Amino acid sequence: MLDVASRKPNLVARLLRSLRLPLNDPFALFGLAIYVVFVLTAICANYLAPYDPTEILYTPSYDLAADLRPGQEGFVLGTTSLGRDIFSQIVYGTRSALLIGITAAFMVALIGSIVGLISGYFGGWVDALLMRLADIAFGIPFLPFVIVLAAFLKPSVWNVVIAMALVLWRDTARVIRSQVLTLRTRGYVDAARVAGSSDLKIILRHITPNILPLSFLYGSIAIGWAILTEASISFLGFGDPESISWGYMLQDAFASQALAKQAYYWFVPPGICIILVVSAGFFITRGYENILFPKLGR
Amino acid sequence: MSETLLSVRDLKVNYRVGGGGIDAVDGATFDVPRGSIVGLVGESGCGKTTVARALTRVMADNARITGGQMLLEGTDIAAIPERQMNALRWRDIAFIPQSAMNSLDPVYTVEYQLSEVLRRRGGMGARQARTRSEELFDMVGIEKSRLRDYPHQFSGGMRQRVAIALALALNPKLVIADEPVTALDVIVQRQILDQLRELQTMLGISVILVTHDISVVAYICDMTVVMYAGRIVEAGPMKAVLTRPSHPYTMGLRNAFPDLAGAASGTLTPIEGAPPNLLEPPPGCRFAPRCPFALDICTKVSPPLRELEPGHRVACHRADEAAVLRELAAKTETWLAHA
Amino acid sequence: MPHLKAAANRALQFALVLWAVVTILFLMFRLMPGNPMAAYIDPTFTVEQQQALMAQFGLDKPLWEQYIIYLGNLLQGELGQSFRYREPVAERIITLLPNTLILTFSSLIIAYAFGILAGAYLAWRRGSTVENIAVPLVLTTRSMPEFWLGMVLLAVFSFWLGWFPAGGTRSAGTSYDSLWALYTSGEFLRYLTLPALTLAIYSQGLPLLLMRSNMLDVMKEDFVTMARIKGLSPWTVVVRHAARNALLPVMTSFAIAVGYQLQGNVVVESVFSWPGLGRELVNAVSASDYPLVQGAFLLIAMVVILMNLVADLLYGFLDPRVSHA
Repeated sequence: MLDVASRKPNLVARLLRSLRLPLNDPFALFGLAIYVVFVLTAICANYLAPYDPTEILYTPSYDLAADLRPGQEGFVLGTTSLGRDIFSQIVYGTRSALLIGITAAFMVALIGSIVGLISGYFGGWVDALLMRLADIAFGIPFLPFVIVLAAFLKPSVWNVVIAMALVLWRDTARVIRSQVLTLRTRGYVDAARVAGSSDLKIILRHITPNILPLSFLYGSIAIGWAILTEASISFLGFGDPESISWGYMLQDAFASQALAKQAYYWFVPPGICIILVVSAGFFITRGYENILFPKLGR
Repeated sequence: MSETLLSVRDLKVNYRVGGGGIDAVDGATFDVPRGSIVGLVGESGCGKTTVARALTRVMADNARITGGQMLLEGTDIAAIPERQMNALRWRDIAFIPQSAMNSLDPVYTVEYQLSEVLRRRGGMGARQARTRSEELFDMVGIEKSRLRDYPHQFSGGMRQRVAIALALALNPKLVIADEPVTALDVIVQRQILDQLRELQTMLGISVILVTHDISVVAYICDMTVVMYAGRIVEAGPMKAVLTRPSHPYTMGLRNAFPDLAGAASGTLTPIEGAPPNLLEPPPGCRFAPRCPFALDICTKVSPPLRELEPGHRVACHRADEAAVLRELAAKTETWLAHA
Repeated sequence: MPHLKAAANRALQFALVLWAVVTILFLMFRLMPGNPMAAYIDPTFTVEQQQALMAQFGLDKPLWEQYIIYLGNLLQGELGQSFRYREPVAERIITLLPNTLILTFSSLIIAYAFGILAGAYLAWRRGSTVENIAVPLVLTTRSMPEFWLGMVLLAVFSFWLGWFPAGGTRSAGTSYDSLWALYTSGEFLRYLTLPALTLAIYSQGLPLLLMRSNMLDVMKEDFVTMARIKGLSPWTVVVRHAARNALLPVMTSFAIAVGYQLQGNVVVESVFSWPGLGRELVNAVSASDYPLVQGAFLLIAMVVILMNLVADLLYGFLDPRVSHA
């Protein structure tokens, strides 16, 4: 693996290059395409969705537009038992999914990377302390933890983000730490020290660019975990009832006996959307193998 | 029973690479007499390991034997069906790998791995296998109690002895040793080689010793086969080849080992340049680009392997002038002038 | 002796993590907004009950004293009274534990059995079309919400085809003498099938990809080539040597997977109305039954932490390079 020592110009270009996006892999492109589609949908939701997702709708004959099949009365994906347009809900659902996904993933990657960086670089008691914290984090069952938090906090989309920031940095931290340990023994780090560079400089200039691909990797996967977690929380009834997320749709469907009614058009599309976004994260990074079972000490 | 155990004739092995292929072995011909140690020597990439693996017919996925014969007591093992070949494996032809650490399964004891071969390939019962295992350990000089240890519990040299014991398990006729001592330090090297020599004499097996180190060849081999860029350039009795090298490459090799008889210069003289790229091998003699004695014909026509004196074959157009060339080769200037 | 030292280290780590999680739980409940006593006392309890609980948990004492009492109570298995059920929390969660464990282990065993075989097969069929389709497919299973998968399976196999019941562990009105009688009844399997299948489909991705990845690495190792040169049969080479080595990390991942599976349990139990710890936790939170929330979470966390320890120990035990250093 070629190390990237940073040079002066263009921070952005440097960062992008060090991410090493695998753009020639068909799956990576597919994943990227999915992200683009969903991001655009989220941004243009107002234009794409024919109705407000929470609006209760009526047919021209003043009946409640409830449980309509796809195509009936012009509803692309049909309606819920309460008379809401499913398609609009799907479209607006991209917003909370991406919002939570990206925020949570960013927090996880950031915290995990910083912890891993400090732990790996400084070693000693700092390392021991931080790794003990990671052990504790590993001992906390994540989803139950989020649920318990829901007992205290007001239902909000940010509960998931907070919980993830508190607990899920653990995987990233361990792997980044291991990577930093390897990097620290490289010749140019010692050379930089001898030349008098401060620790901060060494970390920023030499080490950070080389762990960024890994951080990005874990971040991309974390987007998926965040969306799945939020969906689970909403499904269990602890989500924010104000915002229509895909998880909320599934809870709504389940509670409204959609299964018995065989209303596949209601609960299948949200699931498909979740699958697409989460698997896109896996495909983009292409390093799913590294994620699922890191070979520590490479 | 003939004198010759194995007769390799014009062997060709091709590796599929990218769009095309590399003939890693391009017409190798040599004999292995019964009960002798044959040293197959050459630098990295010359094809000697490929020859060794071809003899077992367990090669890389992209490798194929594309021509020639390998006659083991008259049977062409290059051509026989896989089933028949498998019957021969380990029973007639055994293999000692370069690094025993990686070639022993880390999760089984050494005894298990020995008895696995003895029972599955040798048809022995449990007790018989146990007795034989102890016998084998005795032969290679390891105490029996160590049979129940795992590979990682042995030192490098001991592991190599285990590998030898494994190879001899079924009393093979031919043992191929692929750089068996390269990974060991010098003192242990000598011990292992001595052991190998002793066993070979005791059991009367034939050994092909693949190595890049000509001093190893000088130490225990009866015959020497020199390989360069996929071809055999010189072959014959060890003494003859090393004291009267008749191919410029062998002459150059010898200069790298001043403790061998005959090298007069006293300083180490490397052969400048590198082996040819086998994707596009040069026409004619493959050594010509680096040879201080190359003539025009050398770059056009491939020299055939011909017998210079009984048992001593050379592939060089100027083989008849060998004595003169040897004098010149002994001088450092010859090589430096050509560089 | 190095083994004892390492084992002692791990036991210490286990105790440390357990203690930390217990403490975090304590702090969360005590420091939550509102009346700190609300963690244990529900206004609808009788006065005697309230007083008994106050004494038991020292709810009128300073925080650090409460903490000591709390730890002491924990060690005795005293977790307070459930608001909803009016019975000791400890009893309730212990009765629910087997249901959850049955679901977790049965689904994991299916997932691992399938995953290991399929992973080994895919490694053998490297580069083929099967592999090119299978791997993305497996990734997709890992990307789906388990509860959604459960919903789809329910809708198809229960509501539409009617092959399996829609939830619970037994049909209404039936009763069994004991848990054992329930589990060994044939009917139970019908109830177990869909939830276990849901969890299994989601979980098989990890052992499959892990096994495949390990096999691909191990097949390149020298000792596998040597096994072929020895003339051993393909079965011996692939199974006895390659798979045996590749299996090592997969087995240790099983222990960790139990911990992760328990989380999946939470949602799947809810979809299938499976009376386990997960569903209980969810219901307890909805009903603000704080003692039960604490108890259920604690028990789940303990299993997870225990499994992490088991995973560590397992590795040392299974790998001769570690056990016979």
